Amino acid sequence: MKYRIASAAVAVSAVLSGTAFAQDKTLTINSFGGAYEQAHRTCVIDPFEKETGAKVQIVTAYSADAFAQLRAQKDAPQFDIINFSGGQEIVGAAEGLLSPIDASKLSNAGDLYDFAKANLAKGEGPAYSIAAIGLVYDSVKSPKAPTGWKDLLDPALSEHLVLTDISNGYGMLGFLMLNQSEGGTLDNIQPGLDAVSKLLEAGAIVVSTSPEIQQEFAQNDAWIAPYASDYAYTLRKAGLTAKFVQGSEGTPASFITSNLVANRPNQELALKFIDISISKAAQECFAEALRYSPTNSKAELSGEVAADVAYGEEGVKGLIRFDPAKIEANRKAWVEAWNKTIAQ
Amino acid sequence: MSDRTENLLLAAPGLFLLALAFFLPIGQMLALSVEGPEGPTLAHFSRFLGDGFYLGVLWRTVRLSLIITVICALIGFPLAYIMARVGPRARLWLIILVILPLMTSVVVRTFGWVVLLSRNGLIPELLRDMGLAGRTFALMQTETAIVIGMVHVLLPFMALSILGVISRIDTRLEEAGRTMGCSFLQTIRTIVLPLSLPGVVAGSLLVFTLSASSFVTPNLLGGPRLQVLAASIYKSVTQTLDWPFAAAQAVILFAGILLVLIPYVRLTARDNG
Repeated sequence: MKYRIASAAVAVSAVLSGTAFAQDKTLTINSFGGAYEQAHRTCVIDPFEKETGAKVQIVTAYSADAFAQLRAQKDAPQFDIINFSGGQEIVGAAEGLLSPIDASKLSNAGDLYDFAKANLAKGEGPAYSIAAIGLVYDSVKSPKAPTGWKDLLDPALSEHLVLTDISNGYGMLGFLMLNQSEGGTLDNIQPGLDAVSKLLEAGAIVVSTSPEIQQEFAQNDAWIAPYASDYAYTLRKAGLTAKFVQGSEGTPASFITSNLVANRPNQELALKFIDISISKAAQECFAEALRYSPTNSKAELSGEVAADVAYGEEGVKGLIRFDPAKIEANRKAWVEAWNKTIAQ
Repeated sequence: MSDRTENLLLAAPGLFLLALAFFLPIGQMLALSVEGPEGPTLAHFSRFLGDGFYLGVLWRTVRLSLIITVICALIGFPLAYIMARVGPRARLWLIILVILPLMTSVVVRTFGWVVLLSRNGLIPELLRDMGLAGRTFALMQTETAIVIGMVHVLLPFMALSILGVISRIDTRLEEAGRTMGCSFLQTIRTIVLPLSLPGVVAGSLLVFTLSASSFVTPNLLGGPRLQVLAASIYKSVTQTLDWPFAAAQAVILFAGILLVLIPYVRLTARDNG
């Protein structure tokens, strides 16, 4: 009997040490599902697993969802790395949920553009790709190639213009940029709303999801839509003659950041993961697969890919980041004002 | 065991389900609709009723539901009459044809309309080719599109409600009417229509309540600019996360439908009771 207990104890401790070992070499991260998660795997996770021999466990959760989980797990966090696209890292860092990052521990940090690593010491992880919002247009049907946000107000285009509801994240950024080019600010969105009602009167259409944009281009004779750069590529893959151009007044951007979760045992390994996320190779791969803009200044893109993204010093110069905290605080009021403006 | 307890026992599972799946959520919704930061409040209701935008949404919901109901009745009545009077084989086929759309998801059916009604779709193209419409004519994102889609979805409810009543009308009444010198249309007007009224009323109520609370079809065919109440509730729940206001809108929709139902219940109670 004694012998059996002893052997059971040995077995248990072996199992325990086994899991402890596995824990040492396992990272839990979130990704955004679908094509994004696929690209995430090819560009970052596979190379990371090959290089370190560690395993990566993916939990599919969008930013807001992942942030809610992070907050709920404050005392016993389950993620090692958390990826955000909606600026949640600013709040997360302020609440102490994310660890400050020592830039000297990331071998690739030096290659990042300054804006992508501005608040590492505060705990806001580096931006490893950017969804740039500009003008997606049909290069064959549209009578002229748009160059700026002002062109959206061109009467020749109005009947073929597609706006996106601001319940959509990209729609919100596009609207805020239109507002800014019309003289508005984050404290005053009236100029933007006025422009929208003028456009609607002239025949523009509002949709609420990205597949509907494709539908408008394919079936409803749409020529132009303010939307994300990756979507022009999606349209082209569907056989449409779509192109992307950055507006001359500026390019609102949604930063995708990779953040180090506080109070986790494997921070060294997690930093390695972040380091690979911001590497030249990973970013070139992301740009190639999804047409997200790289934040690594060394990333080299082919001409075809570069045309679809904000590329190089010149390209990223115009990037604008509307304060995510301010957007969150105003969302309710803005959505209601928007709904009233577009109502027929 | 007395009849009473036996009945109660038989009804118990149904009653339990009803309490769980109907009264509990409705109660919760009522409680939520008056929830405020400092105790119960009617602020959400006054916000709705004091705002022209939301009143407009309510009015559109009621107006469209009425139009849809009338069109369903206009198509459904003759259809039901024909179904009731043809031979059993033809009737079976007609019933299958009417029910068939119910077998596919409402989303799929609605997407069918999206394809047909879009600017390059079959119907606007045809109208343009015949010179009946301008170059930029489109049906998508109009109230017409909502009405077309909803009538398609709801017609079976109307037709089948009326069919049930008409098939019980004794055909000899019509024959008697014809021998007394009535024309066909006069027989319909003076005999069939009055006798089938309960079916028409029941069908109308079904169609009205379903269209007032429908969300998928108006949203897909009408787009974000033509809001109906159910879509507005959805937006409050998922986009602005304003659940108390969503609950207040839901209560208003619920109360509106109850208002329509009560006179009907009274009417039929008098007829059958």
